[in-house]
Amino acid sequence: MRSNTIGWLLLAPTLLILTVFGVVPFVYVLVVGFADWNAFAADPTPHFTGVENYRRLVFDDQFLSALWKTLGFGFFAVASEVVLGYFLAQLLMKDVPFKGFFRTIHTLPLMVAPIAVGATWRLLTVPGLGPLPYYLERWFGIEFRLGTYADQAFVTTIIMDVWHWTPLVTLTLLAGLATMPKEPFEQAQIDGANKLQIFWHITLPMLKPTILATVFIRLMDALRTVDEVWMLTGGGPGAATRYVGLHIWRVVFPKTDYGYGAAMSLLTLYLTIVMCWLLYAALVTRRELPKAE
Amino acid sequence: MTKKKQRRGTWLSLVFWTVASFVTLFPIYWMFVVSAKSRVELFGRPNFIIRSFFTENYTNTLADPSFQRYLINSIIVASCNALLVTTLALFATYALSRYKLVGKENIFFWTITNRMAPPAVFLLPLFLLFTQAFTIGDWKLYDTRTGLILLYCVFNLPFAIWTLRSVIDGIPKELDEAAMIDGANTWQILTKVILPLARPGLAVTAILTWVFAWNEYLFAATLTSVHARTITTGLAEFVTVTGTNWGQMAATATLTLLPALLFLGLVQRHIVAGLTFGAVKE
Amino acid sequence: MAETENGNDKANKGRTGFLPIHTNAFDRVFIGTVIFVALHLLWMRFLEAHIPLYVATLLSLLIGAVIVARG
Repeated sequence: MRSNTIGWLLLAPTLLILTVFGVVPFVYVLVVGFADWNAFAADPTPHFTGVENYRRLVFDDQFLSALWKTLGFGFFAVASEVVLGYFLAQLLMKDVPFKGFFRTIHTLPLMVAPIAVGATWRLLTVPGLGPLPYYLERWFGIEFRLGTYADQAFVTTIIMDVWHWTPLVTLTLLAGLATMPKEPFEQAQIDGANKLQIFWHITLPMLKPTILATVFIRLMDALRTVDEVWMLTGGGPGAATRYVGLHIWRVVFPKTDYGYGAAMSLLTLYLTIVMCWLLYAALVTRRELPKAE
Repeated sequence: MTKKKQRRGTWLSLVFWTVASFVTLFPIYWMFVVSAKSRVELFGRPNFIIRSFFTENYTNTLADPSFQRYLINSIIVASCNALLVTTLALFATYALSRYKLVGKENIFFWTITNRMAPPAVFLLPLFLLFTQAFTIGDWKLYDTRTGLILLYCVFNLPFAIWTLRSVIDGIPKELDEAAMIDGANTWQILTKVILPLARPGLAVTAILTWVFAWNEYLFAATLTSVHARTITTGLAEFVTVTGTNWGQMAATATLTLLPALLFLGLVQRHIVAGLTFGAVKE
Repeated sequence: MAETENGNDKANKGRTGFLPIHTNAFDRVFIGTVIFVALHLLWMRFLEAHIPLYVATLLSLLIGAVIVARG
């Protein structure tokens, strides 16, 4: 039999790197989060302050509003992506000509750097240059100014996210649809079920594991979106699109209030984990299903 | 269902997918249009046709010494990271696949959590560690390419391990057992038996990790200042510093996007499985 | 973290207690910790002016113990 020592040796560099750059920062942020540490204060050394940072945090309106905006952004973006992605996947299930060609095009946004996505959308939406403000004003009389109207900025970040990530949802759902057995559908058709009934009672339950995995991964990603939004709106106008990652990065960092920033980071991490776990628990246990994966 | 109805469904799908593809491609096309026009041409009514290719945006960008440095840094960081990640992931996946290690399923899932964690959360501790803890004498990990190369492993290694898992599991154990009976040691098995068979999977993994490292912005912007800045941070500087030179910004963005376009055909079948940790196979 | 339950199911014996889902030891400690943190945060925001935070600590430790033992 092989010796396990060699196995661990092969694994060691991976574990070492992930520990040094993954676990150590986590422990570090955990410790710093309970300290008062401001590099530019009169006393620039860390002191233990207990939960003081968190006490400040739960009354920090800027941070709380950033959190709510992030949740709103994540919810609307992921919900639209799933609906749109399902629709497109269903359409691609039929024998469409140029199927492979369409798929290739739709994989493209997945590979593009988020920062470049932000740049393309900025070029589309910048007044005086982009076609979007021009034609919206010309055809619909809408004054489209991302730098002025908070609602427009918020919606545009969602649309950008939908543009960027719907292909992932489409392709995962397509994979899920393609592996489904045909018999239940034929049986249901013989029994005279209508399309809605088939969707609700057969397609949806069978597709649930795939949808679950997709929503789970997409939500995690949406909640941590920074690059695209920074490039498109810079978090503005005002703080309208300053989502929580952006808030930590642009507001807390320059102030060098390390203890407070660490507390904020930790709380964000906590909420991300709880949200995803709740989603997982709610979706898996609602109905009796075989284990998700 | 009648045949006529079915044909109408096909046409409907075709129309929708054409529209969707147009929507997908349009922003990228527009960026290219902007990059190929002079400032005067961009003024006024949007024009979607490139009459004469205005090369100055590209030549100016490529001649800029700081952009050249960004480009070289990006290429070095992405290539070294891809090489390191693919090698380490091959070792790790082989170990996890062939040895009976205690708690290996937990190790698998632990690696995922590293990838799923929001980067913004780790910016602050990493910044502090890079500037204050990970130092040898005067040398800091902050603002070095080495720092970025090692750091990118945190999100690329889990991805690579999960992509390679099915590849290594798919290679029959009997092959390396036969090699072992012939007296081959672990290193020889890895290089002579596993490596040739896993080559396509390794290539896909390397390309995708390369692209992810190339695309990364947040860490690169926070953990570098002068020497190790990458192309994505260069692109972001257009917003904060100049802000009005749209043609050159579009040219930089096009160059940033180029690798994705080039590699698209090679890896498009695998990216979905990779991004969903094998939860979805195509 | 959150995803780990999936993998642990094979290793640890799961069971169904008063919680609506099938849990193993790791899940229950996890739920306990989550509630511990959430209660403290909410307490600081809404109740600390009237009742000291130690009450929250005691209360959440109690809830945590019940969940780990019976969940």
